[in-house]
Amino acid sequence: MRSTERRSRRHYLAATLAACAALAAGVFAAPPRPEVKMEPVKPAPVAADPAAGKALYERHCAQCHGEQGKGDGPAADLVYPRPRDFTLALYKVRSTPTGQLPTDQDLYRAISEGLPGTSMPPWKKYLSEAERWQLVHQVKTFDVLDLFRDEPQKARIAVGSPPRITPELLARGKDLYESKKCGQCHGQYGRGDGTSADQMKDDWGFPIRPVNFTKGWRFRAGDRVEDIYRTFTTGFNGTPMPSFVDAIPAAEDRWALAAYVKSLVRSQKTGHVLKARFHAGAIPADPWAAAWEKAGYVDFLLAGQIIIEPRWFTPAHDVITARALYNGREIAILVEWDDGTHNRGGAKPADEVELQFPARPDTGDERPYFVLGDRKNPVELWRWNAGKGLTRLIAEGADRLREERDGGIAAEGTYRDGQYRVIFRRALVPESKDALRFEPGRFVPVAFHLRDGDAGEEGLKMAVSAWYYVIAELPTPVTAYLWPLVLGLATVGGEIWLLRQLRRRKGVAA
Amino acid sequence: MQRFAFSITVLIWAAVYAGLKLLVSPPVPTSVVTMYMVLTVIGTLIFVAANEARFAHFVAPIRSVFTGEAPRAVQVVVLVAIPAAVAWVTYQRVVPSADAPFEARVVHPEPPASFPLHGKRMEVAGLANPLRSTGPELRKRIAEGKTVYFRNCFFCHGDTLAGDGHFAGAFLPIPGNFRDVGTISMLQESYVFWRVATGGRGLPKGATPWNSAMPVWQNFLTEDEMWKVILYIYDASGSTPRTWDEAVSHAKH
Repeated sequence: MRSTERRSRRHYLAATLAACAALAAGVFAAPPRPEVKMEPVKPAPVAADPAAGKALYERHCAQCHGEQGKGDGPAADLVYPRPRDFTLALYKVRSTPTGQLPTDQDLYRAISEGLPGTSMPPWKKYLSEAERWQLVHQVKTFDVLDLFRDEPQKARIAVGSPPRITPELLARGKDLYESKKCGQCHGQYGRGDGTSADQMKDDWGFPIRPVNFTKGWRFRAGDRVEDIYRTFTTGFNGTPMPSFVDAIPAAEDRWALAAYVKSLVRSQKTGHVLKARFHAGAIPADPWAAAWEKAGYVDFLLAGQIIIEPRWFTPAHDVITARALYNGREIAILVEWDDGTHNRGGAKPADEVELQFPARPDTGDERPYFVLGDRKNPVELWRWNAGKGLTRLIAEGADRLREERDGGIAAEGTYRDGQYRVIFRRALVPESKDALRFEPGRFVPVAFHLRDGDAGEEGLKMAVSAWYYVIAELPTPVTAYLWPLVLGLATVGGEIWLLRQLRRRKGVAA
Repeated sequence: MQRFAFSITVLIWAAVYAGLKLLVSPPVPTSVVTMYMVLTVIGTLIFVAANEARFAHFVAPIRSVFTGEAPRAVQVVVLVAIPAAVAWVTYQRVVPSADAPFEARVVHPEPPASFPLHGKRMEVAGLANPLRSTGPELRKRIAEGKTVYFRNCFFCHGDTLAGDGHFAGAFLPIPGNFRDVGTISMLQESYVFWRVATGGRGLPKGATPWNSAMPVWQNFLTEDEMWKVILYIYDASGSTPRTWDEAVSHAKH
């Protein structure tokens, strides 16, 4: 009895002391220290050979980064983002605290893996390890302030391995995403459409846009949770992306945010055929309806239109996503793409999408030229403009476009949370004999054009795709199940017969 | 060895299949894999059947399943797997496919006898690169060709001419890989010049000119620039063009 009393009194005392300490910490202590574990940096495993490094640099790098490393090579103004200017030693992808130099390993990694979403390729495909290390040494020689020589990086951030991804962790990450205002630049759903996304500039004064968190394939520093965590911890020097170690001091919280951002990434599914699934009843006009979700999607990659003047080397869009449904009456194609800005015309051109089909339903083996057709083989364009809505055009080459009547096409587009969704509809088989036909089982060539008004894209300044196909999928006939069943059973019959034969013979032999 | 005739045969089939599927790049079409597999199966069976004892060893494991000598589990698995495989293959054959229709394409079509260039006609026969020389000016021309390449071609053909530039994924057919021995190193410079000058639009019908993203470069470049960029792509890919003399000797053999 006594001992329990004493114990409980001691507990009471301890609790009081703890409460006082906590109070004192809360009142007097500085904000919590950022929790960042550091580890020593390993030296570069290959010694510098300036002559070899210079030769390799001139052969493989100078075309973009320039002879003097100023990021001004012959291709520099034709790629977006612009190539890195090495003279200021400001690097985005690092393993070091904000404002500091990268380690040699950081430079080696960027050279080896490339920078996704840019024209910097992964050089590990073409150059040996020793050659890539020579390039690391060479790139450091362009540093005009001699920072690499005077204060080489001795420590780097130890990333470690990510925690287990749990719903609680993601919920915490989501809270942080909101409370730390990530959405202000990156948008509520991460599509790079935040309110301050416009008008951002990097340290060189070039316009820069926040990354779209749904496009993991464009994350400069990689899209593994570890990579995202590293980026939060280091920040991107030379850009508006800060380090979050002060804003989010606990490493665990940064992991939660990294896990949440990773959960926003969607997977890219490229393909050659857009399959329209059969949908019983009316096809929903709401592009967020469950039927569209179920229809599945195909990502069609886009490139700049660099074939006809004015050539366009830096397209704003890299992909367009399409879904399709059909019923007994009509086919509906939903195209969606992310755009941080909603341009409806005025000072800047309006955002615009086009579906391109052969204008004649039967062109045999031949097809119209994949960019706007030609005199012999015209194309039909279903254009939806964010300001003007639908127009139907016939193009006999880039210089001969004419507007036509809508031909029974309808289009409805919406812009929400940094994303356009446009639904085009038309009768499967129209009355007119020379119109496009989408009867089930028929492959119809289709191509896509996309224009971002904010980037000044209009007319031939656009992103284009190759020819693909759209097909209203034939429902699987009963015979597709019947035949396998019949042949499978016949095989079982054959087995039984063989079994009996061999066993009887065995019996006789015995 | 003969005792393991069955296991060895099955291993050979598996090895050939795995080799065709995993080791060959770009991927081999299914029809070609099927052809090779049929040949492999026939070849091994002929070999097995050529010797009576070997054949007996080969058949024994199969026989044991049906006579009931094999372990019970093996009997069940084999007897169920055979009809299931038959049903699966049948289903694959009859189910309507929505794979893109196959489109035949001639990769290196016959060049025409002559083609239009900046308002005149170029004869292909005997056409050689007027800028190819052995003097010191060659390096300078190659360097100029490099600038032309990186302001016009690298978006698709890539930094290292491997046909994998940042736009490459958006086009079908994919851009040419000049590092591949099957491309420019087996062609004459006149052929490459024709392809550069007239682009995708200059291809004959069999080469699907409507799909090619290759621009008509004579619309953007001078004759000299085109010859210089050709010097560059041969130099940077470490290949040498076929010459007319070689072509003649090829024809004779």
